[in-house]
Amino acid sequence: MSRRYDSRTTIFSPEGRLYQVEYALEAINHAGTAIGIMAKDGIAIVAERKVTSKLLEQDSSAEKMYILNENTLCGVAGMTADAGILINYIRESSQEYLKIYNKEPPLEHIVKHVCNLKQGYTQYGGLRPFGVSFLFAGYDDRFGFQLYTSNPSGNYSGWKATSIGANNSSAQTILKQEYKDDLDLEDAKKLALKVLSKTTDSTKLTSEKVEFSTVSLASNGHVQLKIWKPEEIDKLLQESGVLEDTEEDK
Amino acid sequence: MSGYDSALSIFSPDGHVFQVEYALEAVKRGTCAVGVKGADSVVLACERRTTLKLQDPRITPTKINKIDYHIQLAFAGLNADARVLIDKARVEAQSHKLTLEDSVSVEYLTKYVAGVQQRYTQSGGTRPFGISTLIAGFDENDKVPKLYQTEPSGIFSAWKAQSIGRSSKTVREFLEKNYPTEELLDEAGTIKLAIQGLLEVVQTGAKNIEISVMKPGAAPRALTNEEIEKIVKEIEEEKAAEAEKKKPRTTE
Amino acid sequence: MDIILGIRLKESTLFATSKAFTRGISVLKATDDKTIDLNTHNMMAYTGESGDTTQFAEHIKANVQLFGLREGYDMESSEIASFVRNQLATSLRSRKPYQVQVLIGGANNEGEGFLSMIDYLGTRCDLPYAAHGYAAFYTMSLLDHHYKDDISLDDGLRLLKLCEEELTKRMPMDFKGLNVKIVDKEGIRTIDF
Repeated sequence: MSRRYDSRTTIFSPEGRLYQVEYALEAINHAGTAIGIMAKDGIAIVAERKVTSKLLEQDSSAEKMYILNENTLCGVAGMTADAGILINYIRESSQEYLKIYNKEPPLEHIVKHVCNLKQGYTQYGGLRPFGVSFLFAGYDDRFGFQLYTSNPSGNYSGWKATSIGANNSSAQTILKQEYKDDLDLEDAKKLALKVLSKTTDSTKLTSEKVEFSTVSLASNGHVQLKIWKPEEIDKLLQESGVLEDTEEDK
Repeated sequence: MSGYDSALSIFSPDGHVFQVEYALEAVKRGTCAVGVKGADSVVLACERRTTLKLQDPRITPTKINKIDYHIQLAFAGLNADARVLIDKARVEAQSHKLTLEDSVSVEYLTKYVAGVQQRYTQSGGTRPFGISTLIAGFDENDKVPKLYQTEPSGIFSAWKAQSIGRSSKTVREFLEKNYPTEELLDEAGTIKLAIQGLLEVVQTGAKNIEISVMKPGAAPRALTNEEIEKIVKEIEEEKAAEAEKKKPRTTE
Repeated sequence: MDIILGIRLKESTLFATSKAFTRGISVLKATDDKTIDLNTHNMMAYTGESGDTTQFAEHIKANVQLFGLREGYDMESSEIASFVRNQLATSLRSRKPYQVQVLIGGANNEGEGFLSMIDYLGTRCDLPYAAHGYAAFYTMSLLDHHYKDDISLDDGLRLLKLCEEELTKRMPMDFKGLNVKIVDKEGIRTIDF
């Protein structure tokens, strides 16, 4: 029906919409969920990894969490191959910024920077937009802890707590109910797992299906970025009590 | 619609450039922005999309942006397009100053922005910018407020008061009806008229309005939520009083 | 033979630059200003190949201003110093490098004074006091001797007077006096000297 507007580079439809971008957003709505929660002393990000086959080797490396620079990490939802390109781009431009100003770039700077690239792909470059949304979590001197999302259109916005990917609206609803401004990182970690367990389709959360990362400040004031190891995630799942809750619900 | 509205922005047999017209539709889907020129001030006011409870107001991008230290731009349409266009304008503003020593005039900057927008309607492999802009400010060493508009086609125009974006027609009609003359509009009056205009389409009141005032030789000033609330309340009270007066007197 | 001198105080930075604009052995002007405001709290004093100096200073200013508009906050002293060093180091490796030496000074976010000295080779050094060229020969010993860590503005200005006297005595040319500026958390001002 609307083939005329979706078969070539991104162009406007008669209603002034960009179908290519909307389709990319749609694709992300089917991708594994990622949830980010900002607390007063840190940020927790949790993401769901979809296990497609028992035969797939479960190597321990994270697929949806990436450290971008000394102060920032991100969670990804959508096409991981596209994400790789953008993550490389961010890492390189972060170092470029560090080289020029001898300072880690402010968080908003890199978000804006990568979003400008994304915007370009909806207006001229390439044949389709980037099929990824990001959760950026980090710390800088100006605003302290910050959490951003960006999507294929090249828009970005700042959040206290949010989610991207599948079931993000139901996750959003729970977050709205449960988020409080005085959460600490421990609460945020538990809440993130809880929201994931309530919105995920899989029956039981395990480290095979969950990726986890945190941003916090060390006692010396340095930013600590941590992508959690499977054993640590399992332990966290145990301690958080999410596992019992879900079983009771069922 | 027979291929003339596809990838390139080209003329259809009846003389339409469809991509440009569709881009205007994207503008109409964007949140509303209003600009009003007074005697010695110019005001930009924008409808702010409902800030969701969990959004972080400190770091969510605003719709009114500084282009140079004396010029601001408000837009309606695609946010990401706007950000990129704004960046181009900022670079041009400084580059102009570097080569010519003087800061850009509001008119020059408007022409530049419109020029970029035009180029994207005519060069290969790109779609037009899905935004209209209102550009406001003062020229260097000058006290005359300036207000311009640009559109996706690359057209630009000067206005006493203008609105763009969602329901901009309603707002424009309101402004046409209620704009006195520039001389009569002091700073408070200009702010009030801009908010009144915006309130024609923004039902949710003060919390969904962002507004910035510019005066000659001073940095632009964004109004606080409390200030906006006060003015909104004032307007609402006036409206209520007006309605009261109009009410036919009951049995007496 | 320009004089470019900077002294960092606790909550401000002082600049003194010679007023003579020279070409060869002639003084063309006695009211020259060898400084440029980069933003509200940072300035740069410069000397070197004439023409290069202005071109470079304006280029830096345009970029510092652009940064302020793009990022929504003013570039800080240390960021400016890094940026300028990077620009000079990049230029050095180009076909026609800028021949410029600068002092960058300002009040940083904490309201402390800041002073950095950078030469055309891209050498950067953050210092309590600094001078380029001949002026350095005649003033360093005075500065070494009289400078204290928490020196007051009045003492700073007195120290500059000593430097001026020494320079007037030793320099072979008339540098037409010093242009003195201060930058602190209130901004940048010229001081009657």
